[in-house]
Amino acid sequence: MNVAEKKARVIEPDSLIGKRIPKMDAPEKASGRTRYIHDINLSGQLHGKILRSSRIHALIKSIDVSAARALPGVHVVITAADIPDQRPIGVAKDHFPLKVGRVRSQRDEIAAVAAESEEIAEAALKLIKVEYEDLPVISDPEQAIMPGAALIHPEPHGADGSHLHLKQGMSIAHKGKPDNIAMRFDYVHGDVVQGEAESDVVVEDTFKLHYVTHCCMGVSGMIAEFDASGNLLMYSNTQVPFLHKREFADYLNMDPARIRIIQPPIGGGFGSKLDIYPFEVICLYLARAAKRPVKMLFTREEEFLASPTRQPVLLTLRSGCKKDGTLTFRQVHTLHDNGAYTSWGATTPFVMMQTFSSLYRVPHCDYHTAAVYTNNPYAGSFRGYGNLQATFAIEQHMDMLAEKIGMDPLEFRLKNAQDAGETTGQGMSFKSCGFKDCITTAARRSDYSRKARENAANRGKPGNIKRGIGMASMLHVGGGAKIYPSDGCGTILKMDDFANVTLITGASEIGQGSETVLSQLVCEELGLPISAITVVNNDTAITPWDVGVHASRTTFIAGNSAIGAAKKAKSKILAVAAKKYDVAEDELDLRGGFVIQAASGEVVVELSKLLRNLHFQDKAELVMTTFYYEPPSVHQDKGFKGDVSAAYAWGTQVVEVEVDTDTGQVRMTKVTGAHDVGRVLNRLGIEGQIEGGVVMGQGYALTEDLLIQNGVMKNPNFRDYKLVTAPEIPEMDIAFIESMDGEGPQGAKGVGEAPSICIAAATANAIANATGVRMYELPFTPEKVYRALRGQTPKLYWKPWKAD
Amino acid sequence: MTELKHYFAPTSLDQAVECLKDGDVTILAGGTDLTPQSQAGRIKIKHTLMNIRHIPQLTGITLEGREIRIGALATITEIMEHPLVREHLPVLVEACDHFASDQIRNAGTIGGNICNASPAGDTLIPLLVLDASVELASMPEAKLYRHSMPLSTFFVGPGKTRKSLCELVTGVRIPLPAPGHVARFFKLGTRPALDISTISIGVAGTLKDGVLSNARVAFGAVAPTPTRAAQTEQALEGQRLDAATIERVAAVARDEVKPIDDVRATAWYRKEMIHNITKRILSHVAQA
Repeated sequence: MNVAEKKARVIEPDSLIGKRIPKMDAPEKASGRTRYIHDINLSGQLHGKILRSSRIHALIKSIDVSAARALPGVHVVITAADIPDQRPIGVAKDHFPLKVGRVRSQRDEIAAVAAESEEIAEAALKLIKVEYEDLPVISDPEQAIMPGAALIHPEPHGADGSHLHLKQGMSIAHKGKPDNIAMRFDYVHGDVVQGEAESDVVVEDTFKLHYVTHCCMGVSGMIAEFDASGNLLMYSNTQVPFLHKREFADYLNMDPARIRIIQPPIGGGFGSKLDIYPFEVICLYLARAAKRPVKMLFTREEEFLASPTRQPVLLTLRSGCKKDGTLTFRQVHTLHDNGAYTSWGATTPFVMMQTFSSLYRVPHCDYHTAAVYTNNPYAGSFRGYGNLQATFAIEQHMDMLAEKIGMDPLEFRLKNAQDAGETTGQGMSFKSCGFKDCITTAARRSDYSRKARENAANRGKPGNIKRGIGMASMLHVGGGAKIYPSDGCGTILKMDDFANVTLITGASEIGQGSETVLSQLVCEELGLPISAITVVNNDTAITPWDVGVHASRTTFIAGNSAIGAAKKAKSKILAVAAKKYDVAEDELDLRGGFVIQAASGEVVVELSKLLRNLHFQDKAELVMTTFYYEPPSVHQDKGFKGDVSAAYAWGTQVVEVEVDTDTGQVRMTKVTGAHDVGRVLNRLGIEGQIEGGVVMGQGYALTEDLLIQNGVMKNPNFRDYKLVTAPEIPEMDIAFIESMDGEGPQGAKGVGEAPSICIAAATANAIANATGVRMYELPFTPEKVYRALRGQTPKLYWKPWKAD
Repeated sequence: MTELKHYFAPTSLDQAVECLKDGDVTILAGGTDLTPQSQAGRIKIKHTLMNIRHIPQLTGITLEGREIRIGALATITEIMEHPLVREHLPVLVEACDHFASDQIRNAGTIGGNICNASPAGDTLIPLLVLDASVELASMPEAKLYRHSMPLSTFFVGPGKTRKSLCELVTGVRIPLPAPGHVARFFKLGTRPALDISTISIGVAGTLKDGVLSNARVAFGAVAPTPTRAAQTEQALEGQRLDAATIERVAAVARDEVKPIDDVRATAWYRKEMIHNITKRILSHVAQA
């Protein structure tokens, strides 16, 4: 035995945090092996299809399904009449999956078929005869809110015209509404009258935000199967398996314990799968009636027609400041086009008011929203959740106010930007805050001030290409959002006798890379390579409870939960090792698959060997832990105040454009971003998430436009709904500000929604910098920009609606 | 959306036109228009679906005398990459470069682009200003009959041409450009790829000593068909391309077109763009 061999092996310190870790599902996805819901087929499965309304707003006089039922290969045809126990669904419980007596929008579900094949189901739909009696279409929210407007959800009347006395507490689907207002939000801090009195400069403008939709690569779908005992198994793309399990149980009038949801790999979520939609409940009805598994998949056209949209908003903002650049007040009125039914879109004021009240220090803020029923598509949750809309207005006003008082817009922003330690008028408390770093970093890296000056000076010079640079910043929840009484997530962690770890988490993977980040956090605690982990995250029968993927919460909440479970496992392992090797527990650590001496890195024992020893003995023990993490945030009070998130994310994006004044075409040439992400966990993952978000923001700003005319969707296809394509994607320079949040997992904060938020606002500022012309309405299509450049755009003005 | 009963894949032109005699035939080449349009229910596949991809007479890009013949089955990619086209017809290469995406260019054919007769068809505008003619084949009696007609008279409406149900487009013929030939194409849309034109413009002519003769101008997406612009051509013919002329011609162009409002743009914007882009193209030609 030579001397070298006698030397104890030393494991050098290493860390997975901040490294570039490829997404764990990437090889499967890149090689086309991932089995999405589209690829799953159950033995004996039928195919479900939905007949949608051919009218926008009408009474259903009769439905004749006899010919469809008689078609060979058809198993079940259902209408509302066949489901007497239908319960209303949606955020305001204002519609039935199968519409009863009345259709209110183009997407409305009238009947459904389950048949041997998709072709037979399609053929059966064509045999269903529906008689309608048309009603006036209300597609303009400004009209819908007027007193005396025809009602979308009228209160039911008896045959003699008298009101039917329905019980209090019944949902809108049953008792209707005396007006078209679906929801109202009213928030205030300070006194805007005083704020205005203290102002040297006041600006007021109306902004108009349009319809866009998620365009997930994987269209919506689900498979439902009831077993012989009446237990329901659903293969579902939901982002919220646990809460939806309970809701589905309500809709089916069954015990939630008998429902199991398996989520196959999801082909994109972005918030679109945060609500329960009629097709899902209808698929369950079909499976229940057919006593066979039923699979329902949307076509791409259906995905456009029957998926939620981003919330369209008409917004009038009044802002003021003093000559020295101190913001004095903001007064905001928004009109949300709710569409025919209420989904999460109506609740975007929760996020919008945060931006108005707290992105910059505003002593006085007054915010009002009315979400108004129309016969248009209904809006849901979409990455950014109202923040793109709010930021669009605020950040244009920041430039406009700065210009009015003759202050550099960068200096103006820095003067009003929040700092760590502040608590805002809305009660949000910024424990870590890299906002000013974001502004200065993005400005420095893009050479913002010099370019802005030069571009402005170049406006009057010859040449049809004008360059512009614009800035916008954002505040978004980065440590979950306590919109429910709990914002928690559970973890189960088990180790096998080869020192492989299985992480069983309540957090769903929807393509955002959560399983990879959670794996990193666990492996970091346990000193294991990333190859030593398996993640189970898609089966409610196995995984612990969680409130769903939303609010950029997964890394923060599920991450802390996973770390908690890993720490418990680690402490158990170290206790066993300490006892076995007679070393103090706090002198040991885990590293590289070994138990080591913490100080020297010297190997004590290989972890797998220790675990095998632990298992193979008469007093065997397993390393299996659970942890539930609940963030230290609070539910907002009735006035929407409270520290709703455990941490807040910040970001600044600078957009550079070239505007062709002959055509109105806007080319986005560069995006410089600086994001306070707390800490970078997976550098590759976060870069991808930021880049993807920027492109989503770019589509919102420039090309994407879901055209709705009189309730009719004019472009439900990728030919005329224009997503950004590869050649248009700008150069990107993304910097990360690591503010090391005290509560965040390894210091990290959520960043999922952040990168899409600022782009449209910054682009508007860039166009103004290039041309001197302000754009108040999205998207900046060539024609819209050209019209504005030629002075052909009438000034938008929406007179704020006052609550009475 | 189909009455399809037969599928037929002829291997000769005779077989194909024989099959067309009964008229109840849908012709498949690249399928890049046929597939989405039939799935969307905009066209109905007829009794027989005839795949013409195995007919050798419809392929190839060749120089025949003073004409370049492009077989109907030539894909957009083949045309873009072909040395004859690149040397003599760069304006066609330019249009192909703005055509949809690589995947569609690899499958879509020029014959299909012509027969689809979209007012916004990308290859149609350069073909019009290059004075192309369409080759047609049919079998009225027992014998193959072939003739050709100028492309400028071929289109009658969106998706409608003068081709009878019994005829097959076999190719397109383009006279070799004369010395001094200049040609330009411009496609305006929302994005650089996978876009349907908001408008497109083709300009060609012979430039000698600063004077443009044999002027040909064509506009896409401003009328029910891709169309030659007679008044604009007249205003341009024999003119020296100075700033005043260019402005005057652009104004004539704006007044000549009668576009409509649709999901892509309003008529007003289209007219503005016809003016601005005509001006831009002519300025480029003048500087050439």
